[in-house]
Amino acid sequence: MLAIKDLHAGVEDKKILKGIDLIINPGEVHAVMGKNGSGKSTLSNVITGKDGYDIYDGQILYKNEPIIDWTPEKRALAGIFMSFQYPVAMPGVNNTYFLKAALNAKRKNAGKKDLDAAGFLKLVKEKLDDLDMDASYLKRSVNEGFSGGEKKRNEILQMLTLEPELSIMDETDSGLDIDALKIIANGVNSHRSSKRAFLVITHYQRLLKYIEPDFVHVLIDGKFVKSGGKELALELEKKGYHWLES
Amino acid sequence: MIPNYLQTEFEKIISRSYFSKKIRPIREKAFNSLMIDGLPQKKSESWRFTDLSSIKNGHFSISDKNDAPKKFIKLPKYGFESFKTIVIYNGHYQEDISSLPDGIELLSNIDYMEKHSLYVKQPYMSSFDLLNTAFMDSGMSFVIRKKEKVSTPLRLLFIYSGSNNIMVSPRIHLDLEHSSSLFLLEQHVGNCDEYLYNGSMIVNIEEGAKLEHVRIQNNSKKTINISNHHIQQKQQSIYRFNQIAFGSSLGRVNLHANLIGQGADCSLNGLSLSSGKQHLDSNITINHQASYCKSSQDFRFILKDRSSGVFNGRAIVQEGAEKTDSNQSNKNLLLSEHALMNSNPQLEIHNDDVKCSHGSTTGSLDNDALFYLRSRGIKKDDAIGILVRGFASKKVDSIKNDEIQTYVNEHFDKWLN
Repeated sequence: MLAIKDLHAGVEDKKILKGIDLIINPGEVHAVMGKNGSGKSTLSNVITGKDGYDIYDGQILYKNEPIIDWTPEKRALAGIFMSFQYPVAMPGVNNTYFLKAALNAKRKNAGKKDLDAAGFLKLVKEKLDDLDMDASYLKRSVNEGFSGGEKKRNEILQMLTLEPELSIMDETDSGLDIDALKIIANGVNSHRSSKRAFLVITHYQRLLKYIEPDFVHVLIDGKFVKSGGKELALELEKKGYHWLES
Repeated sequence: MIPNYLQTEFEKIISRSYFSKKIRPIREKAFNSLMIDGLPQKKSESWRFTDLSSIKNGHFSISDKNDAPKKFIKLPKYGFESFKTIVIYNGHYQEDISSLPDGIELLSNIDYMEKHSLYVKQPYMSSFDLLNTAFMDSGMSFVIRKKEKVSTPLRLLFIYSGSNNIMVSPRIHLDLEHSSSLFLLEQHVGNCDEYLYNGSMIVNIEEGAKLEHVRIQNNSKKTINISNHHIQQKQQSIYRFNQIAFGSSLGRVNLHANLIGQGADCSLNGLSLSSGKQHLDSNITINHQASYCKSSQDFRFILKDRSSGVFNGRAIVQEGAEKTDSNQSNKNLLLSEHALMNSNPQLEIHNDDVKCSHGSTTGSLDNDALFYLRSRGIKKDDAIGILVRGFASKKVDSIKNDEIQTYVNEHFDKWLN
């Protein structure tokens, strides 16, 4: 589904990613673990197409197509989604309006008709219940005045509504208490299937207790220094990152 | 110094037989003061960023009979069919197609002034008030009697037309007596060439009365629109003003509110949308003279292309105005790197026992927000539209009338695209 080959990227003259190789197949959950400044957010931003990054070398293939020149919206419509570490607040932009615009953009791209207000509401109400979210969320402005946990749930609500094939979870556990973490992990797990894949980016092993990865990669200074199964996360939890740093 | 054409036009207006001779001394007094003061200069603080050369170097003539409509005006095309409408076309009151809601008394200005033994205080806050007094035409006075709650909204529809470089100076008096209420829409429309509109509106809101006032300034992009509003509020009165400005090459709204009665509540709001080389200016003074009054100013500007904007907002709290609650906010969104905004919020407080705040922000679209929307599959242009509409929505939503909201949203979308 996703193939990253020898990717070198950065901001202006600062090299951040220094040769990343990663292959994600449908049905797999990959975790990328690393400390602050190791390049985790850069990796998710270059996959989703955020402006301001330079790609010096390498390739990103999604379903065998090179996507480096694609706009963020084209990548999203092709099935790539990111749950943001810091979801942006948008005062005056109604959550329902936003979510419906995103869903209808996807439907339009698939040659389907817009979903009407009633159909949309029915669809979203079910997801809201799963995430233990109140319907009043829908009336609020996107992420405005949301607590940390509410923002993250809102991200998962978008994921469940848009049904992407590749979901990148960027530090989804940051700022969450254990109850919120469980709700979010349940949301993610309910979305798992043999056709969908996840890239879970995290600092700590904590989230991986609830979202079990098939593969764990350790990112240090822009490179994967070690890859392994889920037991690698436990090892990191015990030993820290020092033993992997050269 | 005033432009020569004003001298010529003034002689013309005082010789017009259909204007009452009794007003002549009032006109002359204002004109003499104007000759001494001249039109505002750039060194004056509130005119620093607004260029008046189009008035100073232009040439405008007072509206005459030929400028009256030549054919029947079709009102439905201006929307708001459920409102009662007073039509003023190039400074001419169109009585045959105008109507009034129940509960409002309409007087000519001369009748109104005579009722007050010609002692109606004339506004003199700026040269444009003097200019309006010297040239006042299409004068109308509306009185809402004690306890009268006018249920149908009243619209004052100003239609601008023609290519004769007309100048009009409407003068409106509006009195809301004790515990009365009114919803007023002031709508400026038209498709005309260069034009100078300099209107003054004098509003008295008595104890416990309430006025909702919406001003839609959507006339041709070639016009100059100067509008002077003087509001006086007595105790426990409420005034809500919302302006949506799209039109004119130079648009300036002057709002002066005097809160003279305890517990008066004054809320002034504006949304200005400019493009091309338009220049839209909002100049506000709220003067707290009594205790326990509340005021707010909330003005937003969205600027495209090479357009420019000015916000000059001032709240004055006088010595005796204890427990004043006043806030001021100006937020501006620049959609082009060539657009220019000047923001100047000011507080002048002569009293310790007050709660006052002010703030101003100017910036371009938030790139993170734009990326967030695009990462959900929304096209860049649509994402920009969502964010700009979101920025404006607070001002549109504060207009408590569905018909007006729909009208504004439709025009907003056209403006955006």
